[in-house]
Amino acid sequence: MTSLVCHSLDVSIAGKNICSGLNLELGTGQFWGLLGPNGIGKTTLLKCMAGLSPPDGGGVLLENQAIDKLPRRLIARLLGMLQQHTVYVFDAGVLETAMTGRHPHLSYWEREGPEDKQKALDAIRVVDLEGFESRSVTRLSGGEARRLAFASLIVQEPDILLLDEPTNHLDMKHQIRIMDQVEKQVGQQQRCAMVALHDVNLAARYCSHILMLFGDGDWQAGPVTELLNQDKLERLYQCPVEVVQTSSGQRFLPGK
Amino acid sequence: MSVGSIFFASANGSVSLGWSEWFAAIQNSDSQHGELIWRLRLPRAMAAWVVGSMLAMSGCLMQVLLRNPLADPYVLGVSGGAAFATLLGMVFGVAVAFLPWLAMLGALISILIVFGLARGTGPWSGTRLLLTGVVTASGWAALISLILSLSPDNSLRGMLFWLMGDLSYASLPLWSLGVLAGSFILALALARSLNVLAMGETTARLLGESTRYMLWLVYLLASILTATAVSIAGSIGFVGLIVPHLMRLLVGSDHRILIPAATLFGGLFLVLSDTLARTILSPQQLPVGVITALLGVPLFLLLLNRARLKGV
Repeated sequence: MTSLVCHSLDVSIAGKNICSGLNLELGTGQFWGLLGPNGIGKTTLLKCMAGLSPPDGGGVLLENQAIDKLPRRLIARLLGMLQQHTVYVFDAGVLETAMTGRHPHLSYWEREGPEDKQKALDAIRVVDLEGFESRSVTRLSGGEARRLAFASLIVQEPDILLLDEPTNHLDMKHQIRIMDQVEKQVGQQQRCAMVALHDVNLAARYCSHILMLFGDGDWQAGPVTELLNQDKLERLYQCPVEVVQTSSGQRFLPGK
Repeated sequence: MSVGSIFFASANGSVSLGWSEWFAAIQNSDSQHGELIWRLRLPRAMAAWVVGSMLAMSGCLMQVLLRNPLADPYVLGVSGGAAFATLLGMVFGVAVAFLPWLAMLGALISILIVFGLARGTGPWSGTRLLLTGVVTASGWAALISLILSLSPDNSLRGMLFWLMGDLSYASLPLWSLGVLAGSFILALALARSLNVLAMGETTARLLGESTRYMLWLVYLLASILTATAVSIAGSIGFVGLIVPHLMRLLVGSDHRILIPAATLFGGLFLVLSDTLARTILSPQQLPVGVITALLGVPLFLLLLNRARLKGV
């Protein structure tokens, strides 16, 4: 199965150090949560892991090859990323847009077959957009556009999923629905995911591993049990955190 | 595709159907009517068709390239360069036969200027290309105004006709057919990539496009189409803006359908417009650019309004 490895990765943006010497392996079946305060560089790090922007030092290996040496088409078959913002400018249909996930799998003249269409329809059902197939994407609400972008990512079928705040704009039901789907992809399909989140409790509920960005290049990574605790979270968010025991484990609230 | 072939047929038919002797004349090319059709009208209609197709295709490409539904083939200054070179040629009394070559030369110079300045070293920047192109276009516009204001009155009319787009002297060089066919095949091969590019550069890269090469390719393709069209018939407005939009409203925005539809309809639209331009006040001829605007604007507004009511 495909693996994504960061080795001594240095990433910075506009002179701000996001992480230095990051060593990390996204292994099969792992569900990583990427936590850190606003503007700490979660998106930049994810983009770097997707090979969209070069690191300052170190490298990202996809299937043991430097990602910046691989052609984009090959990368797109192995790795997919949900961006933080989804803006549709032109009027395309919902089904048509979900189907763009097949793009890296098709050759120049090839058209999407019935199988591809079925995949798109299934994904649309998963994100609860049934009945919207022929609606124009410019007429979707923020949350609907978000779910459509996620559907298109499922259709792409990458082994490595990078998701930048996938639960943005979503109500509770759809947050759970999307996270359940990521969990399913990781568990049943033997994939792995790195998900930037602001909701610590979603991370507590779903993630197996956590990567925390503290700023100034400082980072910590490890199993969720080692990292999601009061001390680490208070240090991460610079605010008091209260721990609550629930039937499904520890949950975290802003404290006083 | 079948819709396309109907477009094509009607495009060709529409030129000549107005004349009752058409059928007889077409079979007898030596007769007076036959001569008229074979030597004057058919070449002119063919030129109109090719120019309309090129402008419409170029408009589709530019809109994707700049990710802006308001983009048209002229927005990046290609036609400005062509117009400046042509008007300069008119001022210095260059023979009419050489004007298309001058136009082509001016357009190519403009393409190279914009390409060179906007390329830089970093990644693709649509904003930089748009700004460079738009500013270059304004530069050309200023030079054109300068020429117009300094030219003697008797040559002004010809210049204005050219600027509004004029098919009266249009001839159809064979290589332009090659450009059209080649671009069409290339654009179709790239059509699914265009769909992805329309969703933004980062999305396109994540879906496996090497956008830097792809976007420059689209830019060059659109520019060469525009340059060829402008060198044949001057800067005919509205076709490149309105036809892609009309087709988006009618067939949707999948470029695998949109590109052929726009190409075919662009041809049809310009042939009809030119026929009207010749006949509406005949024997006087109007600049075809005026007709494309007069036809295109209400048609476009009507369809846009209907699409809004339907709530698609």
